[in-house]
Amino acid sequence: MARVGRGDQAAIQALVARKLPRMLQLAQRMLGDAAEAEDVAQEVFVRAWRQAPRWVPGAARFDTWLHRVALNLCYDRLRRRREQPMAEPPEQVDTGPAPDRGLLARDTGTRVTAALAALPERQREALVLCHYQDLGNIEAASLMGVSVEALESLLSRGRRALRVALADLRE
Amino acid sequence: MMNRMDATRFEALADAHGAAIGRWPLAEQDAAFAYLAEAPEAAQALLDQARVLDEALDTLRPPSPSLALRDAVLSAAPRPKAGWSLGRWLAGAGVGAALAAACAAGVVIGVDIAAPSSATGLDAVSQTVAVEDDWFALPDMESQS
Repeated sequence: MARVGRGDQAAIQALVARKLPRMLQLAQRMLGDAAEAEDVAQEVFVRAWRQAPRWVPGAARFDTWLHRVALNLCYDRLRRRREQPMAEPPEQVDTGPAPDRGLLARDTGTRVTAALAALPERQREALVLCHYQDLGNIEAASLMGVSVEALESLLSRGRRALRVALADLRE
Repeated sequence: MMNRMDATRFEALADAHGAAIGRWPLAEQDAAFAYLAEAPEAAQALLDQARVLDEALDTLRPPSPSLALRDAVLSAAPRPKAGWSLGRWLAGAGVGAALAAACAAGVVIGVDIAAPSSATGLDAVSQTVAVEDDWFALPDMESQS
């Protein structure tokens, strides 16, 4: 990070190659909207660049810090969505069982996206951090400000709801 | 001393964290593997059940950042500080001095060639080569600074 703060282009390129896809994935899974996810990912890096010269090695894992910033930005947007109902709600994806048609991977992806979006925010956050971002339970619980037991409960409830919503996929 | 794991705990962990024991809480992984060895059929059935959802979740591929997003992120990144460090000043001064020396040598050679002299053609060629050697030595000097 010290090199990034000094404007070392190689360090900056390496950091972006490693972390940008990760932040984009986090935002996309949390928000379910590609354009908003790009905005969040970009803003995360604007803040990272601002922070880089002041980064103290060993104070916190940089990856954890990025996750914290991204999650805050996602929650800001989710809050705004609740406060300002859209004039035209987005097209709802049917999360119910598909009728007699073969499910392609794309269909499965659409169903999974819709099922994730339908989860309560905290359950979705727990699943996204542990499954997609591959964080350990202690780190994920710390980011969410809950105990590891509470995290486990959120994960269990989230996965149970997904199993019900996607029950037909196993057939 | 590793705690023993029972079926209930194994099921709760598979229920919460999925089929990959390597992604379960670190403190419980050894006990989970021990339970898997102790009761392979029951444990495997629970893992298989969890794997169905894992595989469905994994159909969502990680999104790839667009070039436009990547460029926007990179264009906002910190730039190297402008200004003259001692090293850069010395390198710049070196280039300037070498250019001045090359110009001076060119004048001297020109005068030598123009004026009647005892120098042979071979001497003139060797002087020119010496100037060219100085010129091409510059990149090395810079890389050492």
